[in-house]
Amino acid sequence: MSLSALILTLVAVPGSLFILLSLLWLLGVKLPERAMSRLTKGAYAFLTLVTFVIAWRMWQSGQHSIRISIGDHWFKVAHYEFPLTLLLDRLSLPIVGITVILAGIVGSFSVRYLHRDPGFFRFFLLLHLFTFGALLVFMADSLDVLLGGWEIVGITSVLLIGFFQYRPDPVKNALRVFATYRVADLFMLMGVFLAHHWFKTASWNGMFNGEWPGHINNLNGTAATVVAVMLVFAASGKSSQGPFCGWLPRAMEGPTPSSAIFYGAISVHAGAYLLLRIEPLLHSSAIATGLVIFIGLTTAALGTLVHRTCADAKTSLAYASQTQLGLIFAEIGMGWTTLAILHVVGHALVRTLQFLRAPSMLHDYHRVHAAAGGHLEPTGEHYESLLPKQTQIVLYRIALGRGFYDAVVDRFIIAPVVAFARFLGVFEFRGGKP
Amino acid sequence: MTFLSFPFITLGIVSLLVGALWASKSANPRFAAIFAASCSFGSFLLCSLEVAKAGHTRLFDPWLSFFEADALDAVPMAFFAALTLLVIILAPKRDSGGKALAGILLLAAATQTTYAAANLAVLATGWWFTSLPFVLRMFGEDRSQKLAQGFLIASSIALTAAIAVLHHIEIDEISHASNLAFGLIILAVVLRKGLFPLHGWMISSFEHGPLLPLALLFNGHLGALLIARSETTALSLSEKHVLEFLSIAALVTALITSLRGFAEKKPRRMLGLLCLSQASFILAGIATASAEGITGALVHWLVVSAASTGLIAIVRVLEVRVSGSTDPTEHLGLAAKAPRLATFFLVCGLALIGLPGTLGYCAEDLIFHGALENHHWIGIALPIATAFNAINLLRIFNILFLGVLPKHVIDIPDALPRERWPLAVIVVFLIAGGIFPSKVLRWREEAAHEIEAGLGLDKAEHSEH
Repeated sequence: MSLSALILTLVAVPGSLFILLSLLWLLGVKLPERAMSRLTKGAYAFLTLVTFVIAWRMWQSGQHSIRISIGDHWFKVAHYEFPLTLLLDRLSLPIVGITVILAGIVGSFSVRYLHRDPGFFRFFLLLHLFTFGALLVFMADSLDVLLGGWEIVGITSVLLIGFFQYRPDPVKNALRVFATYRVADLFMLMGVFLAHHWFKTASWNGMFNGEWPGHINNLNGTAATVVAVMLVFAASGKSSQGPFCGWLPRAMEGPTPSSAIFYGAISVHAGAYLLLRIEPLLHSSAIATGLVIFIGLTTAALGTLVHRTCADAKTSLAYASQTQLGLIFAEIGMGWTTLAILHVVGHALVRTLQFLRAPSMLHDYHRVHAAAGGHLEPTGEHYESLLPKQTQIVLYRIALGRGFYDAVVDRFIIAPVVAFARFLGVFEFRGGKP
Repeated sequence: MTFLSFPFITLGIVSLLVGALWASKSANPRFAAIFAASCSFGSFLLCSLEVAKAGHTRLFDPWLSFFEADALDAVPMAFFAALTLLVIILAPKRDSGGKALAGILLLAAATQTTYAAANLAVLATGWWFTSLPFVLRMFGEDRSQKLAQGFLIASSIALTAAIAVLHHIEIDEISHASNLAFGLIILAVVLRKGLFPLHGWMISSFEHGPLLPLALLFNGHLGALLIARSETTALSLSEKHVLEFLSIAALVTALITSLRGFAEKKPRRMLGLLCLSQASFILAGIATASAEGITGALVHWLVVSAASTGLIAIVRVLEVRVSGSTDPTEHLGLAAKAPRLATFFLVCGLALIGLPGTLGYCAEDLIFHGALENHHWIGIALPIATAFNAINLLRIFNILFLGVLPKHVIDIPDALPRERWPLAVIVVFLIAGGIFPSKVLRWREEAAHEIEAGLGLDKAEHSEH
């Protein structure tokens, strides 16, 4: 089997699984849990094998990147065409690898975790759709294809946050997360359209010369800075950074396995991946570079502060994730590419483990204490104790209020928008009367 | 004059009228429904055959030569016939009495007449007749319909007046009279499509009116047809300022209705605002005056028609199932009882707002790219409207399908076979069209070329080369 065929298989398998299972459900075929479990485990084992075969063959042949085109284009009108090309290189391959491995682990874990849950089938449908979207993001050879996967990952994320649909909080939080995603995705859309408009290209090949890493930026000037800034904000939205840092704790309403794969492992790192991919463009603009570092460091500072006052395990992990992602952003901004990739892979693996262990955290806690031969007393020594008492109190207040992020957004963004929307009602009629 | 090989158009319209007559006289609602569905199926078959015949040239109907089929109207005619059939099949029993079915078929016949019109007089006649079922109150006595009737009649009067003025002047003549005629055409479009600030009647109709007939009235997109037709016939709408005005009106409507959704809690009103906002993209796309934008707009026309019909039909069948909660403001949690309807709703909605993998994505992608070419502010503002609409879509979905199931909703059926298959057809069209968009784009390519030619874009491109 050629490398191109293997790469296509990698993307096609989860997509086909999603379509096949959806059709079965529509036709009223009820797949037993055991069959779903075997199908999922088999599919992800196969995908992992395919990824290893691709990596092995690339290493053997000394190829650093493979670019494949699916047909000439997806669609074409006049001078505008939408190319459908995929790229696997030294940046995407490790991330594709951890995506299929962690999706398989989470799928396997979920079989028991969601046993007899009414949403069992739905969860696996969405998991396959997510894997398809994530692979599309990481293997996209253009911003256009990346955007497609980006949005699919976003919608599956939201549907899984609202997984426990009979409880009000998940429903409310899913909507809030979706709204944040849509606003952040606006920057992505604008970035893509402006890249097309100004540079007549949104493909990696057109935007950069050479192979990653060490590829050279082809875009210059103010227009390039605008595109870079748009993409930085888009990446911030996906990775819960800077102005979009409020959604990650809300996303913890979903089932734990989905939190692990989305907010510990794959989805949140998509933003960092995008920044790594457009690194030369970022570094061609001092504004974009400064913005990435500023967003990363401020979010990391806020995240680590709030993380210390969270009462529940998953929210605490969410803020911890946010902190690490902030540091990854700063590393990318500073040009420490290798460190950033290692950080992404390491963080994804550790955080997935932590999320998956979160439901049995108390059990683990007692086991550790029992193994130590009794109750372990906390030392009470924390870095924050080095700060003056008054500063500690202020910071504690900020941390308890979670940086007052939600309050600020509610008061200064949502309330004025809704008030303006109400005002626009003067142009309408109620009850059939003007 | 070149003629079609068979009177597809005349027979298609006559079959709808016969169906309307039979349904209005029939004492048995079941037979009336079956006969109405058969007639609309016949009309759909004839229109589909006509699409296969119609191509690059205008083909006149051999029986009634004031009907014609060309690249612009052939596909919408077949599509509208399919929508009529789906609406009749999806209509719950309480909405499919003889008189209501007759109204639906009459509305369909009038819309098809407008599409197939070979001249402005016939177009205006069809335009007038689309108001008739509402004026005759064939969908029940509802005081709120008076508002819709008023706007429909006003738009018909504006169009008739425009035609009367045009009849008395030379088309190329730039005078106060021609400006008046174009102004009246724009007024007719604004009134009919419900563009800001005259969008209130459409929202009010969504809130109080009969939903399924409204889906057909709304998805005729006769305002967009009139503009596209005016451009293809070079009615001097190529005057740039007219397009500028329309693009601004469409843009403002898309933005304001999407924003208005945030202040609403009633699903019907929210759905109305969502559909209206997304439908405004069609006019905005045509007004971009670029090949990508126009093609995107013509494809979006199909997307809006299919997706909004699906959404409206689902809302209606749920209202009928859950008695006492028409237009709820609290969560209904119906996904627990009707997961298939929830899935259909979500897919139709996501296609409407342009999720990748659906046809809506390709259409919007083209419109945004086209808009950036000539009208930057449209290219920037439309994605904002889409983002707002997406949020409102999820809010409607949450209200209808998520949350705790109310105590009075003990058991309701999920999608019945009669509902499941028509909705599956819509969903398959939206997804298959999204995966293989080239096929759908090819259907509308020729129409886009005609509009471009009307605007003189093709010549401009040649001169550039």
